[in-house]
Amino acid sequence: MGATLAIAKRDFNGFFGTAVGWISACVIFAVSGVLFYIVTSQLLDRGQAVDPVSEILSNIYGFMNYISIFIVPVFTMRIMSEELGNGTYRLQASAPISSWSIVLGKFLGVMFFFGVLGVLMLIYPLYVSLFANPDYRVMFSGWVGLMLNMAAIVSIGMFIGSLTKNVVISYLGAAFFIILFLFSSFFPFAPEWYKRSVNLLELGNEFTRGMIKTSSLAIYLAIIGLFLFLSRLVLETKRWRV
Amino acid sequence: MIEVKGLVKCYGDRKVLHGLDFSVGGGRVCGFLGPNGSGKSTTMDILAGLLGPSDGTVKVCGYDVVTQAQEVKKQVGYLPDNPPLYKEMRVKDFVDYVAELRGIKGAERKKAVSRVLEECDVTDVQDRVIGNLSKGYRQRVALCGALVHEPKVLVLDEPTEGLDPNQIVQIRNLIRKLAKDRAVILSSHILSEVQATCVDVIIINQGRIVAQTSLHDDANHQSDILYSFEGNPENALSWFKSRKFVMEARKDLQKENAVLVTFNPDFWKESAGSNLAQVTNQLVQDGFGVVGISEERAGLEKLFFDAIKSQSTMKSNSVAGN
Repeated sequence: MGATLAIAKRDFNGFFGTAVGWISACVIFAVSGVLFYIVTSQLLDRGQAVDPVSEILSNIYGFMNYISIFIVPVFTMRIMSEELGNGTYRLQASAPISSWSIVLGKFLGVMFFFGVLGVLMLIYPLYVSLFANPDYRVMFSGWVGLMLNMAAIVSIGMFIGSLTKNVVISYLGAAFFIILFLFSSFFPFAPEWYKRSVNLLELGNEFTRGMIKTSSLAIYLAIIGLFLFLSRLVLETKRWRV
Repeated sequence: MIEVKGLVKCYGDRKVLHGLDFSVGGGRVCGFLGPNGSGKSTTMDILAGLLGPSDGTVKVCGYDVVTQAQEVKKQVGYLPDNPPLYKEMRVKDFVDYVAELRGIKGAERKKAVSRVLEECDVTDVQDRVIGNLSKGYRQRVALCGALVHEPKVLVLDEPTEGLDPNQIVQIRNLIRKLAKDRAVILSSHILSEVQATCVDVIIINQGRIVAQTSLHDDANHQSDILYSFEGNPENALSWFKSRKFVMEARKDLQKENAVLVTFNPDFWKESAGSNLAQVTNQLVQDGFGVVGISEERAGLEKLFFDAIKSQSTMKSNSVAGN
């Protein structure tokens, strides 16, 4: 556990040690800030706000799905492909820790980053409290939804990142697969159960309406678990490369 | 401390290690010498528990690298050929991170970090960013990472690669110091490197051990003697060739007017010094103008090239046979 947290802490600090973390944060806040302005001005124009928090959250957090297509691969590329390429992965691999600790540590490192951004983004719904009475429970569930959504996307990116040492391939590959996964439930040949359950765009929306469903939670955890497991599998097979 | 038996490693159809057998004891520096692409780094990776062997057993401090990988990793400090460093980190933070990865906690970690910074002589740069350091310092910082958990076995993959002569001397001294209470195995493709630091030498080529020797036992005794003469050494050459105690005499390739003489092993056995003096005396009495005598410690170099040459002839013979 100590090693997992050590890796997470180092990666988190590493994002801010270079410009990657700062620029990504700037991009996210610039886009979400503009979005917040548009959403609130629309709400004001309509002159009715049944549930402003929910409306703001679903719009801004929903949009995070699309931004993350471009942002998340930057992080997963750094923590996986770059480390495999420049040899720093060997530092972790030669330490007496399991490959689960390594994968979880790296995953948590990225999630700390997005967790902090998510908390800072609560400024939008909180700002509304100057004019209306926001529902703090909706705010909380929305934040949980955002985190789960990001976690699922990060785990997909990590899996792609673990497959290659080439950072460009890693970035493009992760972006491609994240898009593919986000829209996979719209494919005409996707089975019905898949369309109903695995739909990240829809799943996230439920949370911004204040609903935390066990089934959605389970689907998220299953997706995250699956891709983290696959990443670990890839790292483990590197040892037995034949 | 390291025991390797029948170690085989395949990448697909390509076999890179063909059944290596060797062992390294504590308190010794063992050099792993071979040309590029001979399987040195693969062997190092296996010893450090990063790669699994395809066949054979590898034991480090009695632990098997396959079934007890975690135990092995606890005992081994590994410095890969491409030093694993986070360039944006500060030296002290980096070493502290490695210690944390290794499960060293609290005050003990602080102590271990300052000890290892001291040991590798990098305390003066401990607050600097690694990316801004010179290559020699980076190498030493990476060595700090490999040493922070006080490993019993140290595996160094080309530790002096790309350093300037001054830095090389520093690293060599450091390695010798470290070897006092642990087993060190270092790989290199540079002969002088191995000659300078190692006690035992394993020469590897194309995934096979082609020679194994100890530098401080017999290599010195078998050193050749180089005689330089005033004029043409042809006569001297035939003079040497007619002597019983001379195994081989040949013209030196680099120096004109010089003859390289390999004496019989018997020659060295008793009173080697006076034997040598007698030969020189005789030479002078017979009217040869000797201008210089020097000892050529070509033992390892000869062994290296002979071993690699004999293997390639063997290979070409077997190809011709097919």
